[in-house]
Amino acid sequence: MVVTPPLVDKRFSGELQQAITALSWSPSGEFLAIASAGGELLLLDFPAGCEELLRGNSDKSLSAIGFSRDSCFLMAVGQASCLLLWELGGSGIRPIPFDPIPLACGWIDQALWQPVGSLLAVGAGREVRLWDSSTRGWFPGCLDMAGTVQGLAWSADGMQLAASCHGELVIWKPFAKSEDEPLRIPTGSAGLVLAFSPTGDLLASGQMDRSLLLLPQFGQGRPWRFSGFPAKVRSLAWGQNKGVLAPPLAVAAAENVVIWEQRDASEQGWHANPLIWHQQRVQALSFAPGSNLLASASADGTVALWDGRGRLRQPLEGDGQGFQCLAWRGDGLHLAAGGDQGSWWLWPVAVPAREKQNRAAGFGFGQ
Amino acid sequence: MAFSSAVPASKRLPVTVLTGYLGSGKTTLLNRILTHEHGLKVAVIVNEFGEVGIDNQLVIDVDEEIFEMNNGCICCTVRGDLIRIIGNLMKRRDRFDHLVIETTGLADPAPVIQTFFVDEDLKDELRLDAVVTLVDLKHILQHWEAEEVQEQLAFADVLLLNKSDLVTDDERLDIEQRVRAINPMARMLSTSNSNVPMDQILGVEAFELERALSLDPGFLVDEHEHEHDAAVGSIAFVEDRPMDLEKLGNWISDLVAERGPDLFRMKGIINLLGKDERYVFQAVHMLIDGDFDRPWKIDERRRTEFVIIGRNLDEEMLRAGFNSCVA
Repeated sequence: MVVTPPLVDKRFSGELQQAITALSWSPSGEFLAIASAGGELLLLDFPAGCEELLRGNSDKSLSAIGFSRDSCFLMAVGQASCLLLWELGGSGIRPIPFDPIPLACGWIDQALWQPVGSLLAVGAGREVRLWDSSTRGWFPGCLDMAGTVQGLAWSADGMQLAASCHGELVIWKPFAKSEDEPLRIPTGSAGLVLAFSPTGDLLASGQMDRSLLLLPQFGQGRPWRFSGFPAKVRSLAWGQNKGVLAPPLAVAAAENVVIWEQRDASEQGWHANPLIWHQQRVQALSFAPGSNLLASASADGTVALWDGRGRLRQPLEGDGQGFQCLAWRGDGLHLAAGGDQGSWWLWPVAVPAREKQNRAAGFGFGQ
Repeated sequence: MAFSSAVPASKRLPVTVLTGYLGSGKTTLLNRILTHEHGLKVAVIVNEFGEVGIDNQLVIDVDEEIFEMNNGCICCTVRGDLIRIIGNLMKRRDRFDHLVIETTGLADPAPVIQTFFVDEDLKDELRLDAVVTLVDLKHILQHWEAEEVQEQLAFADVLLLNKSDLVTDDERLDIEQRVRAINPMARMLSTSNSNVPMDQILGVEAFELERALSLDPGFLVDEHEHEHDAAVGSIAFVEDRPMDLEKLGNWISDLVAERGPDLFRMKGIINLLGKDERYVFQAVHMLIDGDFDRPWKIDERRRTEFVIIGRNLDEEMLRAGFNSCVA
């Protein structure tokens, strides 16, 4: 009998003073940024083996953080209604802060870098604005929404931006000619979380009315609507593509995780595979890049690792605190998670060979 | 029933909703709440046009945004901005003891109230403590017909009759009577400069069932001057004969299904046939909550007291319906 070795057998951890609200790896894999509900922002520099607290506990919560595609900029937004930016000179070089850019639009919890290119989309109240790192200024034009921006997603090629609010889902091509109006799709509810499939044209929207919308052809095609979830659909993650059919889509509502798989292209082609294990709300889902290993983080104090067939491979514990967020390093071999009492964890993960698919060459952790 | 959260009230954060027409003194009261030494750490959510002149990290601006959950039925509207902002705020560990939400002078308070009972995230984290409505004694009669004014009076658990120093006693008594005709169950306090003891507006527990009718136990004793021509008004029933729970439940369910949008608040203490405990009940539009609370006391008069506050109430029809629930 073959004994399966554990995927994870060691961990690193640390602590901030307030609940961890966001984690982000730089695309280069050199940096991990960690933000808290107290406004703290910690930057871990792995090649240099050092860490720097870019912001201390201030009572102004941070809600979203992220690195630009070229790993040259770090952004943070939150309660203070400002866009915060740092320029990074690489490992071992102290980041240079920009002056905060005031937006006067209330609490900002949506901001997302383009996966290819230099733009940062910011949900500023009832509009989406784009900050351009190549010009270090605002990109001309912004997207007006019918309500406050609740979710944002870029298509994999960075050419299309989806934004949701109560009542509508908008797909915008910021580089299109000005007469090319954004596509506005009525939804009858609020889209809370959006995600484009990694290589295809499918957009998933987790809705407040306990349903999931799947929009093919960048929103042009006839949408699928899956309803009957036990609660708001608040977390989504796409896996790896398998041929012409859509990749698996993991969806969380309350303590339930479901993996939707497309078995054929027909109307009835989607099948649900429920992953029953968590006892409290699932806060975050993420597939390891380059594999179909899924991590789910729950308020019940566990992160679960599931294989491509929906089998629980290993639960990871959070020392009694609930988990809030997750982030895989681009190599798919390191998983970071944040807790609701301020702790963060980092686990090197041995992805099982079966789950590896076209994985990009390793980053070499901690060199 | 609809109201009840699985999480005990004591584990949820109390929320006070502060309403009042333009110029009624909400900003002054908010400043008092923020600066008063009441020993509570209070977070205040103000609307975009609020003018709280205090730089305080616990003052949070929001853009009032109504989410219609179900074909625009007003009983199913909630405040989307509150769901988002309070969700963000509640992540903080050493958070705060009390939350105060200011609504704009022109807002209908119902969506705010409904948010705390309907939203799956908030109902287990928060409990509505009271709806506090400020009344500008000097100017309210000028706006008396405004729908928002009547709604704000109707939904109140605590009515602060403010600027009492600017009116004569006769003027104040006249307004008190008019306000009482709309809302006979709220606690009423006269103030000037929004100067009110904090324990009268924070920690009221008006939405806790066991406190449902403890605010003004004598409210049904007086015969109120009903203003039958007023769009918003109230009707109170008193019944000495015991009631039938099933009949009562059916009647109320049918009533809210048919007239929910017009029924703002209902509260009742019910004397049920064959039960030694009081049954207490309250409703906001279509949201209903009811349960047994405590045994009737030996020296207490066992009788049913029931109040309906709403728009275009048909007293005859409601009375007939209520009477049909006698066991």
